[in-house]
Amino acid sequence: MNALDFIKKAKKGEINLEDFYSKLFKKLYDIDKKYECFITICEEEAFNQLKNLPNGRLYGLPVSVKDALCTKDVRTTAGSRILSDYKPPFDSTVVARIKAEGGVIIGKTCMDEFGFGGFSTNCAFKVPKNPHDIERSCGGSSGGAGCITAVLDEPHIAIGESTGGSISSPASFCGVCGLTPTYGRVSRYGLIDYANSLDKIGPMAKTVREIALMLNVIAGFDEKDQTTLNENVPNYEKIDNIKGFVIGVPKEYFDGVSDVIAEKVWDAIKKLEDKGCKIKELSLKMTKYALPAYYVTATSEASTNLAKFCGMRYGLELPLEGNFNEYFSKVRAQGFGEEAKRRIILGTYARMSGYRSKYYLQALKVRTLVINDFKKAFKTCDLLAAPTMPVLAPRFDELEKLSPIENYMMDVLTVAPNLAGIPMLSIPCGSIDGLPAGLHLMADHLQEQKLINAGVALHG
Amino acid sequence: MAEPKVIIGLETHVQLNTKSKLFCGCPTIGLEKPNTRVCDVCLGLPGTKPRLNKAVLEKAIAVALALNCKINKLVPWNRKSYFYPDMCKNYQITQYDMPLAYDGYLMLDFEGKKKKIRIRRIHIEEDPAKLIHVGGDITKAEYVLVDYNRSGVPLIEIVTEPDIESPQEARAYLSKLVSILEHLGVYDITNYVLKSDANVNITGTERTEVKNISGIKAVVKALSYEVTRHKNMLRRGVKPMRETRHYNPKTGLTHALRTKETEEDYGYIVDPDLSWISISSELIKQIKASLPELPDERAKRFVKDYGLNQEQANALINDKALADFYEECVKEYGEPVTIAKWIVTELLKSFNYHGITLRESNVKVSEFLELFKLMDEKIITARMAKELVKAYVDTSKSPKTLVAEQGLRRISKTEELLGVVKKVIKENAEAVKDYKSGQEKALHFLVGQVMKETKGQAEPNKVREIIKKKLLKQL
Repeated sequence: MNALDFIKKAKKGEINLEDFYSKLFKKLYDIDKKYECFITICEEEAFNQLKNLPNGRLYGLPVSVKDALCTKDVRTTAGSRILSDYKPPFDSTVVARIKAEGGVIIGKTCMDEFGFGGFSTNCAFKVPKNPHDIERSCGGSSGGAGCITAVLDEPHIAIGESTGGSISSPASFCGVCGLTPTYGRVSRYGLIDYANSLDKIGPMAKTVREIALMLNVIAGFDEKDQTTLNENVPNYEKIDNIKGFVIGVPKEYFDGVSDVIAEKVWDAIKKLEDKGCKIKELSLKMTKYALPAYYVTATSEASTNLAKFCGMRYGLELPLEGNFNEYFSKVRAQGFGEEAKRRIILGTYARMSGYRSKYYLQALKVRTLVINDFKKAFKTCDLLAAPTMPVLAPRFDELEKLSPIENYMMDVLTVAPNLAGIPMLSIPCGSIDGLPAGLHLMADHLQEQKLINAGVALHG
Repeated sequence: MAEPKVIIGLETHVQLNTKSKLFCGCPTIGLEKPNTRVCDVCLGLPGTKPRLNKAVLEKAIAVALALNCKINKLVPWNRKSYFYPDMCKNYQITQYDMPLAYDGYLMLDFEGKKKKIRIRRIHIEEDPAKLIHVGGDITKAEYVLVDYNRSGVPLIEIVTEPDIESPQEARAYLSKLVSILEHLGVYDITNYVLKSDANVNITGTERTEVKNISGIKAVVKALSYEVTRHKNMLRRGVKPMRETRHYNPKTGLTHALRTKETEEDYGYIVDPDLSWISISSELIKQIKASLPELPDERAKRFVKDYGLNQEQANALINDKALADFYEECVKEYGEPVTIAKWIVTELLKSFNYHGITLRESNVKVSEFLELFKLMDEKIITARMAKELVKAYVDTSKSPKTLVAEQGLRRISKTEELLGVVKKVIKENAEAVKDYKSGQEKALHFLVGQVMKETKGQAEPNKVREIIKKKLLKQL
């Protein structure tokens, strides 16, 4: 049963939610044992929610939330040891909106520490395992979200978050759908920041229709987040025909992509053609500059965001010793993982005087060029289509051999649209030896509806 | 050797008197009880985002216009990163390479001349928390408490070019600045003591930055100390290093905090949580049109409408409270020129003697006006009134009370004055001789002596009359 049917039935009283959740949580503990997708399972809180559940658009629906989103009185770690005991006193806007519509928060999903990674291997607590082969990664950083979405038979929608591809990557590797909305479409209030100018919260689900349902709930202006767009939210569940859509296929997005994946992606593109879309090959010349611009921008912002975790107000508490600098350093040395430290150092370097104009300011300029590149393409195209990830879900032992740069290169197909702040949707497009491949659809700013229409046409 | 030139630049922080903080809804008043005026945003809780209080922007633009600045139309917010226990986020939201306003000036009337102090920039930023050093000052404290009530309070920083040439000129600049801010109604001096960082050197020495000096008087003291220190070092052939110093208000001395090898590196980035401020020409026009009367215009009006001279008008408008006091007195009593003269010469003299301003004194319009009524009723002389001003400021007792307590009154009867006149004539034979030989000035002297003998209570015209008659042997 999908989420939409489940909610209808629950509203009619055809589902005993108490029973449903009792069974669900038993199952979740078992799943978590095998796949390690949750940092925190919120059984007690979920039953508390059931006691007084608003009869809203998500009535009774299980929703998992990436652990970067603050949940009131529920441990929120962002995957970091430095926040291992942190319980926020408020709900993030997205969580508040879900709760207000009767959605039930079942748990906080595993992620790379602060979103720093593409394989969820940089989590301080657990590493989620790919449901299709537990020796492989779920992708990341919203790996736990991708994992539980794929593995759970019961109706469920996950909330993920993407900075440079953290929704698309796990969606592709786990074989589910993941929507990264336009930057500013969904409030970031209560999201523990990775890189504020890039962070986007979006839904992950088995079907695109479920994604549309969740986007209807979470999208829209929020006075608590000045970067949200004060634009009308359409009814994303109203699906239209895609006949006549022009689908651009950027050639740069097939460079270095494994042949088997390219083949599956082209199959999906042909299906779009069958449904009346026009296919147009084109070039996005700025794509190759997106990766360095992304890492400079993201780490510059991240290094300032993480400064507050120093043991003064936030972060671990250690015995007080030395002056404040020594104490802060000790807390940060013990609390942050290796990748967090690497990105803090990178980001701090990129914005130091003397390097600031060469790296940080230059990256801002490149970002504008990348945006213009996409804007130009969307003058003639409704959507762009490409592979989501260049490879199939990698094995953990393969990942260990990657250098940091090779690791960052895995984001090469997702960082450009993330840098441009355009919406994107990853949907499964077949599998190779049991491992799913992902089709990446991209649209112009605020054109989520086009993505959803095409996604429903292809995948439902 | 020519006296070396003193070069001073000031960076002054002023709290704008908005109801709520810069990026959240917490109130900016009632901060006395520590950590009660705080919320998720101004405590920097993970996941919270700042949102701009537009009232701050409008007040800051008013200041920029009053200081003749150009205004940037599109202004980003920046994160200034450094680790310090008073910052809950370990970065401060401020404006860096594109400040709100730049290239302005403040016109001073200093020592009888016009002096232009150029304003390099004005930007808006959030105040950090307050650190309370327990058991000593910043260098000696046993431990430190943090009060986050101030965290996120809106400040503007006004930065001058190094145009100030003496500590006294710095005082004049800051007084005028405060007066402008108060006329604009954007600053409440009783709620926030302005804080300045002073950059100072003399020709031939390296720049010293004295950080975080509270109030105006302390700036003058710190600068005077620094100028002397720099001169002494130059004389001894020691080149002062480029350094940051701390001013101790208790001792009036400055102490080295750290040497400045290079500029501190704050790793500025654009704050990606806040949209850029877009300032339209319409908004600027609108704010410009609604600017209240500013000190210079007020001075002009005082000259034109009240017939004051420029010097008197300048002295009055330098302190908004004093100018208001003056106008209230005039409204109540009339006689604008007389009142101005008494305020500027007598009242200010007493304030300066005590190093206070009107606001710090207990002087009230109704009580001050008693002086004029006492003179009008011929109960006291002008000379007595002068003494009464001093006593009024000293004791906070109203002139009427003082007169009653001390039994003061004007003496104008011949029989009461004759004895003193005789004594003075006897003791000042020389002056008497001069007067008789036609020197009118000698008469003034003799009158003065009588006034002195009577502690100012004698009516001077009457005294003059009596002396004249006495010397002409008419009495």
